[in-house]
Amino acid sequence: MSGGPIQRRETVVPAPLGRAKGRAERMGEQTREFLAFALAGERFALPLASVREILKLSPITEVPRAPRDVLGILSVRGRITTVIDLRRRLRLPHGEVTRGARVLLVDAGVEVLGLLVDEVFQVYRLSPDEIELAAVVAGDLSDYVYGIGRPGAVERGAAADEIMILLDPVPLLRR
Amino acid sequence: MTEDEDGVRAEFIAEAQEIIELLSRDLLVLDHGQKEGHPDPDLINSVFRGVHTLKGIAGMFGFYDLGEVAHGLEDLLDQLRLGRVELSQEVLDVLFEGVEVLQRLLASAPDAPRPDLGAFHRRIQSQLGGPAPPPPDLAAFGLDTGVLSVLTEYEEHRLRTNIDQGVPLYRLRVRYALSSIDTDLEDLKSRAKPIAEIITYLPSMDGGDDDSIELEVLFASRATVRELRNALALPDEAELEAVAKVAPSATIPPPARAPTQQPASPPTRFPPPPSGLAPPAPGHDGGADALSLRAVAKTVRVDIGKLDHLMNVVGELGIVKSSVGKVLDRLRGVPELRALAAELHRIHRGFERHLDDLQDGILDVRMVPLGQTFDRLARAVRQVAREHGKEVRLAVSGADTEVDKLIVEELTDPLLHLIRNAIDHGIETPDERERLGKSRVGTLALNAYQKGNHVVIEIEDDGAGMDEERIVSSAVARGAITAEGGAELARSDKLALIFLAGVSTAEHVSDLSGRGVGMDVVKTHIARLGGVVDVHSQPAVGTKFTITLPITLAIISALIVRAAGRTYCIPLTVVQEALLLDPREVRTVEGREVITLRGATLPICRIARLFDLETPAEARVKEYVVVTSLGQRRVGIVVEGLEGQEDIIIKPLGPSLRSVRGFAGATDLGDQRVVLVLDAPSLLEEVFAATAATEARGARGEASA
Repeated sequence: MSGGPIQRRETVVPAPLGRAKGRAERMGEQTREFLAFALAGERFALPLASVREILKLSPITEVPRAPRDVLGILSVRGRITTVIDLRRRLRLPHGEVTRGARVLLVDAGVEVLGLLVDEVFQVYRLSPDEIELAAVVAGDLSDYVYGIGRPGAVERGAAADEIMILLDPVPLLRR
Repeated sequence: MTEDEDGVRAEFIAEAQEIIELLSRDLLVLDHGQKEGHPDPDLINSVFRGVHTLKGIAGMFGFYDLGEVAHGLEDLLDQLRLGRVELSQEVLDVLFEGVEVLQRLLASAPDAPRPDLGAFHRRIQSQLGGPAPPPPDLAAFGLDTGVLSVLTEYEEHRLRTNIDQGVPLYRLRVRYALSSIDTDLEDLKSRAKPIAEIITYLPSMDGGDDDSIELEVLFASRATVRELRNALALPDEAELEAVAKVAPSATIPPPARAPTQQPASPPTRFPPPPSGLAPPAPGHDGGADALSLRAVAKTVRVDIGKLDHLMNVVGELGIVKSSVGKVLDRLRGVPELRALAAELHRIHRGFERHLDDLQDGILDVRMVPLGQTFDRLARAVRQVAREHGKEVRLAVSGADTEVDKLIVEELTDPLLHLIRNAIDHGIETPDERERLGKSRVGTLALNAYQKGNHVVIEIEDDGAGMDEERIVSSAVARGAITAEGGAELARSDKLALIFLAGVSTAEHVSDLSGRGVGMDVVKTHIARLGGVVDVHSQPAVGTKFTITLPITLAIISALIVRAAGRTYCIPLTVVQEALLLDPREVRTVEGREVITLRGATLPICRIARLFDLETPAEARVKEYVVVTSLGQRRVGIVVEGLEGQEDIIIKPLGPSLRSVRGFAGATDLGDQRVVLVLDAPSLLEEVFAATAATEARGARGEASA
């Protein structure tokens, strides 16, 4: 379903109150829907509720003096939106922008930011046993990693190519 | 608190704020009048009505403390307007304090602890006057009882005062159309204001029909019938006559008694009104309330966010317009569609015109006169002057100069700061001034005027002035400049040192020179609004701050330029001119590039270098210098191309880019082209700071060599 339109979500992610509770809400403890995308050959996913919109790549205006991981700005229906180079933010190797590249508009609490990704896959609905929480996997992961998603883990064991890193948008986009 | 209650509360606060601001304005005029010896009674009455209304709505919305204060003030004002209490500076002090208290109450959180207002109430009580007035003795004045019986207490007081002062009374009979009576009456009142005092007006019995109504107006004036006819622009059929000779000594029974003999005067013109047209009961100025309601109905309070939204829509329409323009160009290229293209062209032009109107209209709505801010400042002047035992006369000009609402709001704090400094440190004590041969009363002038696309505000005092050598030595002490560098600075540059953060945050400067605390804050504030502040000062003569601001922040004309292979906008408000750069003209002074423009040195800066950008090699064929200026500073920005001029809507960059300096925002030029708008004040600042740093380094280098 790469490139196909995905329904636009107007849901506003509530600002995290207590960290634990906020995170649980953000990560969709009830719905557990994640939008998976590719970046530098790896598979990541963000909670669907935090993704406002998926945009095709339009010219991005570079902003001199901006932080290194800021690609620039673009106008989303008249609103100036900052676009982040997610590769830089995640310290992944630099790569060419491909035809499948998309900008995810993600609500990061204080601001809606654009995230440049290589390709958008699909929405996964994950049950609790398809998610390994970061705290369980390893103690020293970055705070923006929520856990590992293993769709289909229950029925047929983990298919390695469908493993995805679940990201928590708020710590990810906090500066 | 629910959202609904929040809304209601906000509505009340907005309305109360307006009333309080008006009160404050009227009080200032009264204060002035009192000092000159003739306070305007109308104004006292207006203040009374304002407080009365405030009391009413405060009760309605559950602001009981505020209502109570308003009630206390109302009592005092009632006695003032009825002449039972004399308007003195002490009374004015209480009234001004009342305004402050009201404002404080309004600003406090709904759940804040209730303030102790006992002391203030006691101060009101101490001013309240004593006994009831002597019984009225008006009846024999050629006035029939019909009139006298319906006068309100206040109107009666005014009538008596005028008689006591020997002001002749007049009676006017005039007919107005029912449909326009409100505006006609307002018109009459405003025309009468300079030469006459309207005491009362009533509908007359004998002259009403379906479409019009005849009014009997009683007023006092020293003008002649002819002068009055002219000044009031009365229609020919209006009847105007003097009531009777004023005889202040006459002893006349009060109106409550039976009517006495009438002088040979015109037939009864003031019959008792029919019950359907009952006039307001005495003591309750119903007519005035009705009027103020009408005034309110003509204005609408609008959230500025909604205006911003409309502005955004206008911007989007602008993009639609340019897209249509492009379609038009394509149609023109097709011979068989010429006629269609011509028609579309006409429509397009019309659309453009209306869009411009719409944009102007929205901008106009955002504009407010500086007067509101000036009133607030005038109150501060009075207060600060009293606190410091200074005598200060405030001279205001240009209060009707209009500025964008957002700018006005951000302007109050810096202006307050400058004014406080001027009174606290600038203007000397009365004794000191006398010793210096100045008048005991210092003058603080607040001037505003429009200058092209800018508004200039000047704050000028005739106080002690600033000693630039002391500023320099304290700046040197702070390490902001070297002693040698300081010595070489021009006088105006030395004074400008008070705006340097490193210097001005130093208490030394304020101790030594009497200025400087927070001056960098003032400057930052003004810069954030896209403006600059300059200072001129002469010891013993005075100090003048000049603030130059753009008129609006919402829409600006901008020059579109190409630089370092990219497109940028420069606000046209700061552009003086653009000219072709002759590379042979460029000189290097202290490592900075400069050119000579009409005999003056102009520092130039290159966007690529400023922003650390790689310039595509082919770009540098021709170069232009865009001469930008703000206040007295000028910098030439070197660009590769001038693409034209456009009206743009500046939109803010997101929070994650807030720390990036040098850009005022971005704008949508259509075609999905987002272009950055250069923040000229901050860039000018940067270039000058760099120059100053180079000079300081240079000076240090020479010193150590």
